[in-house]
Amino acid sequence: MKRGLIAATAVAGMLMSVAACGSSDGSGIGADGFKGQKLTVWVMSGSNPSQWTAQVSKEFEQKTGATVDFKVQQWDGIQQKLTTALSEDSPPDVVEIGNTQTAAYAKAGALLDLGDLKKQIGADWSDSFNKAAMADGKQYALPWYAGNRVVMYNKKIWAKAGIKDLPTTRTELFKAFDTIKKKTDAEPLYLPGQNWYFFDGLTIGTGADLVKKSGGKWVSNLADPKVAKAMDIYKTYQSFSDAPKNKDEATPQQAEVFAKGKTGAIIAMGYEAATAVKANPDIKQDIGFFTLPGETAGKPEGVFLGGSNFAVAGGSTEQDLAKEFLKVALSKKNDAQMVKEVGWSPKSADLASAAKGNPAAEAAAPAAAKSGGTTPLIPEWAAVENVPNPIKNYMTAVLNGQTADDAAKAVEPEINKRLAQQ
Amino acid sequence: MKRSLAGRIWPNATAVALALGFVFPVYWMFNTAFKPTGDILSDVPVWFPLHGTFAHFATAVGAPDFWTLAGNSVLVTALAVGLSLLIALCAAFALTRMRFTGRKTTLLVFMVAQMAPWEVMVISIYMIVRDADMLNSLVPLTAFYMLMVLPFTLLTLRGYVAAVPKELEESAMVDGCSRRQAFTKVVFPLLAPGLMATSLFGFITAWNEFPLVLVLNKEPAKGTLPLWLSQFQSQFGDDWGATMAAASIFAVPILVLFLFLQRKAVGGLTSGAVKG
Amino acid sequence: MAVQLDDAVDKRAPRIGKGGAPPSGRATGTPRTRTGRATPYLLLLPALLATAVFLGWPMVRNVLLSFQTLNMKELIQHLTVWNGTGNFQEILGNEEFWRVTLRTLVFTAVNVVLIMALGVLIGLLLARLGTKMRLTLSVALVLAWAMPVIAATTVFQWVFDSRYGVVNWVLDQLGWHAMAHYDWVGTQLSTFFVITLLIVWQSLPFVALNLYAATTTIPKELYEAARMDGAGTWKVFTTVTFPFLKPFFLATTFLEVIWVFKAFPQIFAINKGGPDRLTETLPIYAFTEGVGNLHFGMGAAISLLTIAVLLAMTAYYLRLTLKQEEDEL
Repeated sequence: MKRGLIAATAVAGMLMSVAACGSSDGSGIGADGFKGQKLTVWVMSGSNPSQWTAQVSKEFEQKTGATVDFKVQQWDGIQQKLTTALSEDSPPDVVEIGNTQTAAYAKAGALLDLGDLKKQIGADWSDSFNKAAMADGKQYALPWYAGNRVVMYNKKIWAKAGIKDLPTTRTELFKAFDTIKKKTDAEPLYLPGQNWYFFDGLTIGTGADLVKKSGGKWVSNLADPKVAKAMDIYKTYQSFSDAPKNKDEATPQQAEVFAKGKTGAIIAMGYEAATAVKANPDIKQDIGFFTLPGETAGKPEGVFLGGSNFAVAGGSTEQDLAKEFLKVALSKKNDAQMVKEVGWSPKSADLASAAKGNPAAEAAAPAAAKSGGTTPLIPEWAAVENVPNPIKNYMTAVLNGQTADDAAKAVEPEINKRLAQQ
Repeated sequence: MKRSLAGRIWPNATAVALALGFVFPVYWMFNTAFKPTGDILSDVPVWFPLHGTFAHFATAVGAPDFWTLAGNSVLVTALAVGLSLLIALCAAFALTRMRFTGRKTTLLVFMVAQMAPWEVMVISIYMIVRDADMLNSLVPLTAFYMLMVLPFTLLTLRGYVAAVPKELEESAMVDGCSRRQAFTKVVFPLLAPGLMATSLFGFITAWNEFPLVLVLNKEPAKGTLPLWLSQFQSQFGDDWGATMAAASIFAVPILVLFLFLQRKAVGGLTSGAVKG
Repeated sequence: MAVQLDDAVDKRAPRIGKGGAPPSGRATGTPRTRTGRATPYLLLLPALLATAVFLGWPMVRNVLLSFQTLNMKELIQHLTVWNGTGNFQEILGNEEFWRVTLRTLVFTAVNVVLIMALGVLIGLLLARLGTKMRLTLSVALVLAWAMPVIAATTVFQWVFDSRYGVVNWVLDQLGWHAMAHYDWVGTQLSTFFVITLLIVWQSLPFVALNLYAATTTIPKELYEAARMDGAGTWKVFTTVTFPFLKPFFLATTFLEVIWVFKAFPQIFAINKGGPDRLTETLPIYAFTEGVGNLHFGMGAAISLLTIAVLLAMTAYYLRLTLKQEEDEL
């Protein structure tokens, strides 16, 4: 009885605040309306850079009179934590959700529709960013940041191998790796076998779809020749590396391997440079970046736009304040700060200038704009990436010599099972 | 009886090899914790932390709320173990020294309770605690930890209680002690080593618990050390140095406790044995 | 924590008594008559109450959940959706469950046998060593034993790391170059090898130290008599040590079966039940299906089946113990 009541009021509250948001934005609540209140915002560990946080907190306080409490969450067990938290009477008001996870939470009825707010503040956001914040045609979250992988290379090693021009096509890149292999004692590339988001980018590049509709249900499309083609490209990349075929880029942290100065390049996010410098300060001057080259010079390699959205919990008691927070946190100025401070890809055209001077962001921008994509944007997808991610197993199997077709057939039952369970 | 030279050497050689094997992982944890990152990710293992550094320990201890979490862990563990010892002792006494209807059933209940799959029951526990509005509190945490260790504690203490000769208790009572006095003055001191030994299991279980605290206490200041330990592994991948430093800090209290209590425990046992 | 020893001592007492003084237990029951009838119940009350509230209630809840569809949506919106025996039908009809069950049984058996056999050998070795050596080995055992599970699993992952792990380096140096970057968690067998090594490493000290302590309680005369009859080491073990410590062996095996069967953090941390879910045992299976994939109703159902399997495995010991209890008081 009690629970039914809570659920009913939560739904009612959701409806009411959806109806109310038009008015509250304009006049409704003034600067004093929120005085003394506190907004809880969950961010993932490593997501919110310090200057951005300080800037947003201050601005939010000035604007609303309320304070914001950023609660940094660890990745371990985050799904259990977030799911249960969203079921509580006083959930966090605003939560960061990975862009590939958003659809699932939206479908579970956990998030507030933010369509009006999007119109107000995000009219010029690029579609590839915004798509991953939507579900069933509704705006259940707002894109916060996203980035894509670039080639982070060791200038010293490349110079030693005598490479003058940075590669602009995939063939040139492989040739460069080959040169490094022959002319230096460095490992040309460190690429473990399970860098799944890099692989996802390659499938975007070959135009593959990881899932397809069959009889009204989503099923795996991993056996598609286009996926096999992407895997073949991955295999060529991986042939230049001694990295373990069954690990991902975080075990060990690939930037720390790079920091030792014996690795020609890694496929990395811009922020990983900081990790390398932390492990070995001397490496700083040797780090360079360039866009992942594609088949032809005009079109960079397909990349996965990995990032996070901000969403407002359906059960939040501070939904108006939460929206005020989002207006501040996702303002042009603060978005520019995210690009500048971390090197995230620019969300809209006029943010491109913020990337100037950040070599990683500059290298990332062309691919983000021209060939960025995500994982399948269906609510069922999140389950597929749950540990143990069957696609990672597929990758390892192919790298260990299985044919792409056999490897795909081996994991497809598991993928289909996960896609069916929602 | 004289043994041959070979007969004297092989047990000792085996013992040395075994000792090294058992200690190695523990040693490697400390060794890694003290090595600079460059020496950790090294193609040739660095066997001794010659360029010792406390940097990883600084990282580990410098994580937010470390001291609060450490305090919570100590408090919850100590309370859970203490309470379960107390409750289990009463029950063990009844189960070993008294005859009553339902005794066997009770025993069966605790033996089966030992099999409870706590990891999977997390969600039902969560729903109960959530609906009771007790999230982010150390009280439910203590209570459930207490129960996680209760069946083992109880069944084990039964053995210790049984090993204390009834005659001692009886003669004390003949001397005019009440049953309670006989217990506190005669039986309890004899049980002390057993209690300590039994508590070790409880300490290690409660100290390690992770899945439950993860969902029950989301307030950063209400967590326990396993949450803190897990962050070094997952934050942007693995920072082995900090992970091992954190693991060392996490392990040291239990290692010390074990080394200290184990002596008492074995002592208690052998003295118990004499009585047989 | 050489607990079982005391159990052993306890059970043994009457047997020793046969030789000398009359067995004490039953004869001196007089104080019991003075005890109020309610006393045992009062003493048991806290334990039973706590168990009912903190284990019984979640268990009942768990049973209820096992008949529900409880996914992310239902949990967040506090919906109760009954689906009858749907969860059980799906699990029992899925071949995977049976595979996992069989795997769990084999895994438990292999580990328990290893632990008991090696534990006994090390325990006997301890008895044979000189004082200093015995202390050294005991300290090493205690250190391994006391290592918190989370810390231990982390260290094992690190030691078996394919690129910077010390194990691969040593194997490479010893001339086995194929192992230079060997991926220990790449295949089912090698992953189980690491997990088994970890579990055995952690469990041996308990068995070894307790066994050693237990052997010290065996009256020396028994050994001397056996030796005089010309019995060798093995004969002495089978005719004196083993029969004398039978209760110890039974109780320890029972505990190890439960502990190995329920081993969770060890398996989960090493490779999350991978590769390809091939190292999932029942508790991991229940967790991955339930909590990991957010199908809590399904997870609850699997956990109940898990308990059933464990009960079946330990039924022999449970019955034996209860029968003994009957004889005793």
